[in-house]
Amino acid sequence: MARLLINDLPFHATEGMSLLDAARAAGLDVPSLCHDRRLDAASACRLCEVEVKGQERPLCACATPATEGMEVRTHTPELEAYRRGVLEMLARNYPADAPAQIPEAPFHRLLARYGVEPTGHRDPAKADGTHPYMQVDLSQCIDCYRCVHICAEVQGQFVWKVLERGGRTRVEATGGSLLQSECVSCGACADTCPTGAIVDRSRLELGPAAAWTRTVCPYCGTGCEMQVGVAGDRIVAVKPALDSPVNHGHLCVKGRYGTGFVDAEDRVLHPMVRRDGEWVRVSWDEALDAAVDLLRRVKATHGPEAIGVLGSSRATNEEGFLAQKLARLALGTGNVDCCARVCHAPSAAGLGLALGTGAATNSFADIEKAGSLLVFGANPTENHPIVGTRIKQRALRGVPLVVVDPRRTELARMATVHLALKPGTNMPLLLALAHVIVHEGLEDKAFIEARTVDFEAFAQSLDAWPPERAAEVCGVTADDIRAAARIYATAKPSYMCHGLGVTEHIQGTETVTGLAHLAMLTGNLGVEGGGVNPLRGQNNVQGTAQMGCEPKRMTGYQPMDKALAAHEARWGAKLPGPGLDVLQMVDAARDGHFKALVAIGYDVFLSNPDAAASEAALGNLEGLVVVDLFMNETARAFGTVFLPACSSFEKEGTFMNGDRRVQRVRAAVKPRGEARSDQDILCALGARLGFAEAFTYAGPSEVWDEIRGLWSAVAGISYARLEEGGLQWPCPSEAHPGTAVLHTDAFPVGPRAAFRPQAWNPSSEFPDARWPLQLNTGRSLFHFNAATMTDRTDNALLQPTDRLDVHPDDALAHGLADGDPVKVESRHGTFTMKTHITDQVRPGDLWCTFHSKGIFVNRATGQGRDPVTHTPEYKVTAVTISKV
Amino acid sequence: MAIRTKPDHQRYTFEGFGSAKYPNLMLRGAGDLNNWPLAVYESKHEGYAGMRKALQMEPGAVIEDVKTSGIRGRGGAGFPAGLKWSFMPKDTAERKFTRYLVINADEGEPGTFKDRAILEYNPHQLIEGCIIAAYAMQANTCYVYIRGEFLWLIEKLEAAIEEAKAKGYLGKDILGSGFDLEILVHRGAGAYICGEETALLNSLEGRRGEPRVKPPFPAAKGVFGAPTTINNVETIAAVAPILRMGGAEYAKLGTPKNTGTRVFCLSGHIKRPGLYELPLGVPLDFILNDLAGGSSTGKKIKAVIPGGASAPVFSEKEFSTPMDFDAVRNAGSMAGSGGVIVLDEDTCMVQACLRLIRFYAHESCGQCTPCREGCNWMEMILHRIEHGQGRTEDLDLLASMTPNIAGKTLCALGDAACGPMDSILQKFRHEFVHHIEHKTCMVSGHRLLAHVGAH
Ligand SMILES: Cc1cc2nc3c(=O)[nH]c(=O)nc-3n(C[C@H](O)[C@H](O)[C@H](O)COP(=O)(O)O)c2cc1C
Ligand code: SF4
Ligand code: SF4
Ligand code: FES
Repeated sequence: MARLLINDLPFHATEGMSLLDAARAAGLDVPSLCHDRRLDAASACRLCEVEVKGQERPLCACATPATEGMEVRTHTPELEAYRRGVLEMLARNYPADAPAQIPEAPFHRLLARYGVEPTGHRDPAKADGTHPYMQVDLSQCIDCYRCVHICAEVQGQFVWKVLERGGRTRVEATGGSLLQSECVSCGACADTCPTGAIVDRSRLELGPAAAWTRTVCPYCGTGCEMQVGVAGDRIVAVKPALDSPVNHGHLCVKGRYGTGFVDAEDRVLHPMVRRDGEWVRVSWDEALDAAVDLLRRVKATHGPEAIGVLGSSRATNEEGFLAQKLARLALGTGNVDCCARVCHAPSAAGLGLALGTGAATNSFADIEKAGSLLVFGANPTENHPIVGTRIKQRALRGVPLVVVDPRRTELARMATVHLALKPGTNMPLLLALAHVIVHEGLEDKAFIEARTVDFEAFAQSLDAWPPERAAEVCGVTADDIRAAARIYATAKPSYMCHGLGVTEHIQGTETVTGLAHLAMLTGNLGVEGGGVNPLRGQNNVQGTAQMGCEPKRMTGYQPMDKALAAHEARWGAKLPGPGLDVLQMVDAARDGHFKALVAIGYDVFLSNPDAAASEAALGNLEGLVVVDLFMNETARAFGTVFLPACSSFEKEGTFMNGDRRVQRVRAAVKPRGEARSDQDILCALGARLGFAEAFTYAGPSEVWDEIRGLWSAVAGISYARLEEGGLQWPCPSEAHPGTAVLHTDAFPVGPRAAFRPQAWNPSSEFPDARWPLQLNTGRSLFHFNAATMTDRTDNALLQPTDRLDVHPDDALAHGLADGDPVKVESRHGTFTMKTHITDQVRPGDLWCTFHSKGIFVNRATGQGRDPVTHTPEYKVTAVTISKV
Repeated sequence: MAIRTKPDHQRYTFEGFGSAKYPNLMLRGAGDLNNWPLAVYESKHEGYAGMRKALQMEPGAVIEDVKTSGIRGRGGAGFPAGLKWSFMPKDTAERKFTRYLVINADEGEPGTFKDRAILEYNPHQLIEGCIIAAYAMQANTCYVYIRGEFLWLIEKLEAAIEEAKAKGYLGKDILGSGFDLEILVHRGAGAYICGEETALLNSLEGRRGEPRVKPPFPAAKGVFGAPTTINNVETIAAVAPILRMGGAEYAKLGTPKNTGTRVFCLSGHIKRPGLYELPLGVPLDFILNDLAGGSSTGKKIKAVIPGGASAPVFSEKEFSTPMDFDAVRNAGSMAGSGGVIVLDEDTCMVQACLRLIRFYAHESCGQCTPCREGCNWMEMILHRIEHGQGRTEDLDLLASMTPNIAGKTLCALGDAACGPMDSILQKFRHEFVHHIEHKTCMVSGHRLLAHVGAH
């Protein structure tokens, strides 16, 4: 801490404060143009100059640290005259009409404050209107370079460049226009630009926001905090929350611009029931009665085991909790699940088994603390873009990066070692990495000794996988395996994250265990900068599973045997034991034992693999209640009751992100049409099923308090505390600060974690003569999963449709040109999409996104499942292709 | 004026060189294009004696000797070289550093052409200086950032480096000292700003050449984030004779706080333009009249820019100033890079001023608002005065702008532009007034013509 005098008043500056921070904290409005707290001080606009006693000339406040004993003057007549002079210099060529257009832009406010009138004109040649979300007019550029710096220092994209010098200095998007550039549409430049030279189109078209609401992004599991700007009950802007520990004032295209779905034309705004095959609009009472009738009837005739509830990983923690409560208490069924099943269930299971907590061991902040980074089966720059940019920034600064991915993703291109393995060979690779570590003596002997058991047996199981053998199986070189192992084992702490490239395999849980072993082997657990960190898919997939939408687990992902009694005591009823997961429900429906499903925000038909099998099974249901914003594929084909739900912008509650952080979700706009929150819907259903008291809450905070009572790890997280910012569980008491790093002293499984021998059980979907190619699926930057939300935004303009990535060799062999429609056929089904020739994929591999419901990629994916969690094998399907 | 790509070596010979009063430390053999090879340097010019001596000393002792010599940087700012070297962090038990030495051979200051003469005639003296400096600071890599236009000198320097390598003066374990050094030559691409030391570092790293925020200073965080010392060619080349003769002996040259010799570059309306190596402190008028033969045109000398284009101009009453850092500073200018530009009384000072400001407006890296916008605005105003469109309020406008630029920018280019502007406006105001009031040039009497597009 430093004590200084600012304009004769004492001020206590905290560590790392600049004079500008200090002056502003003291309530002094020192003007600035090039400053942005997200960036290193550029010290270029020179407006922030202040006088410091003993200094010959004024100092630039943004670049000068506040130090002990300084005596600072911020607004002397000389300084103010100087600032006016600088603004006059800028105003000389600045378009005269610009301030009236966006009066709140920081530069315009300064011009007004200093009484400076711009006198320049616009140059039409400097405008660029190509981008769907950002309007560019560099006539308004004042060369502060904030766009250049934020694109480089925060996003790492290097789209904006400064060209020329002197009076000809100008910024320009590389590639000519923003649309043609490498721009990833994160909107950081438009957010930081102080003039409106780069501005959100929505600002020009919809006007300024009248009020701002802080909430959490509805897209991926990173859990970025955002400010939602509203005017006239309409979302007109989204800006990143500047002080968020998760996203540090940054968002990706989905969070920043992907709100169009809220007011999409085809949003379902009133309840409906299906009569004689047609959807008919009804009142809420009628719809709820229809749902309850169905559930009562099925329960009476087929028993509660014939009913299932699918919680939504889009909904809040409170709503996930109520979904399982509805299933277990009101319906008496243990059949409750959520879409974690089809993504990260193996992470929860694998980490739960090995270490005792089925969640990320560390925090995103550890990326900046790590000595090396290992990205295993994940493409964060597209699917978790904020995590991706944080990794990218570290790699750009020289931190060694190992990427394991069959495709040459953006991170793979900048990796120290890229292991481009054949899909389905994660296990041999992992075992070979461990083999190298053990055989070269790079393991952390002290950690193994103190914190683990059964190392010997595990080490023996590695003998089967020397790097040479794995190299052959995986299609990489033994040298690269060795190099990667050495980096991970020696450039410590080593941060590891993984994605669906690990879990969506029949060896999903086994592979996650292997990742945990790798961390145990090298002592990368319980330390800052280390850990095993699944990158959770949806905004609240961690939360919904954690809330007990899991057939074998209760609130807090607690095992039945440990937690069932407490729940029974709290709810005053006998509860069912373990139930079916979503794949088993579909199987049971196929076999005729399962008759009614409540699907909340989960397009099970489009998302599950082997659509033909799902189709036959879901057709056997007596009824299907859909709670959603849109007429999704499941509802369209099989729904009988449709209950329109609120988006997260229309309700209160909490989400839980991928680093175990519980954060507040707040309503920014009113519910659309007759839509209701899932909480209201679930409580109404519960009440009609005869549990009025158990389903009466004053609001989400009461539901949360019930959760706190059932799961001690969040007991210390209250809504009141969440007003100050998110908290990471475990947080057992209100005095507890939350936990950033798990397992620092011991594991929930005990003082020591156990190794166990591992082996590889290969997939039956490997290519053969009949099915020579291997199909792999994934997500992309501009869309989210089934694109239910993103397809209803202008993101559809940035990436209109799914394409099949084909290696040039295979394209040649099949006579395919770029853009040709190509039919993909597997043992299970077919789909057709356009060819995209790229050497990002390995020869013999095909890769595509599964965003488009018209194409329906999951018609071709197979029946393979992880034996522990039943997570489908989306990543490996043997196929053939042919030109159509 | 035609641009000469190579200096005319005839002009370097000067009687005083090599005498006790005017020792020749920097330009030995200058003028002889066959002077550069290593064999000549060693046989005729006591070459590499300083290096041999230094390698026998403790690195710290070498720094001490350079401190004792009192030598101040010859690149512009005149900062004591030994002191600068002592800022480099030393290795500790916990932390080992990679350190760099960077030689500033960008020589972009108008009126300055000494570094290229050293590179032309005595590249080995620079190499020797690099070895001594790098050894003193324990840097194992030295970059020479050389002005892109000096293509032929780059080849020569590289040939000299090869010779030194072959002799074991560069590379691993130099002369059995255990010290390794590699010298890498990096070519600039024609931007004046890249001579500013932190812009130079950015350019060296492959970034846009724009000055960095200081602190951190290069000694803490320089090229590639590592501790770095940047010195001018002449500064480093002088280290060879300093070590050879001993710092104390060198310090006897010049004046107590401005020791040694420096190479003055005389150009403009002067009878014998060229390079003059002189001890610091010789009066300007002695150099102009007694040594360089006075005005080349027979007309009176009206103004002198004493230290490169960035230095405020001297008018007649300052011509007696001793040419050392402190005296020139006290007289209101700066000794800068040693470029002495002579203007006779037929020179229109409005035009000269416009020419200077145009240079800075053109060369501003564009980062700082006051420098980028201010220099361009000043250029525009001067342009209209020069072309007969000046307004009476223009002079006040110009005068009001420099305080908003000088001292308010990230690097010294902003100051560099304002020095000449302010001094010319102050000392030759009547010429500007004449332009504005009479629409004719006071010096030539010509009518001023408005250019199309001028405003
Ligand atoms: C705009 C600008 C241009 C400069 N150009 C040069 C140059 O061409 N050569 C040079 O040696 N120093 C130049 N300098 C000075 C350097 O920044 C630096 O002070 C010098 O290289 C340090 O070396 P010295 O301590 O040996 O003088 C320039 C400074 C500024 C502000
Ligand atoms: S476009 Fe905006 S942010 Fe970029 S340099 Fe110009 S004024 Fe600054
Ligand atoms: S003063 Fe001029 S040249 Fe120096 S950093 Fe600023 S804009 Fe660039
Ligand atoms: S805010 Fe400090 S220089 Fe721009």
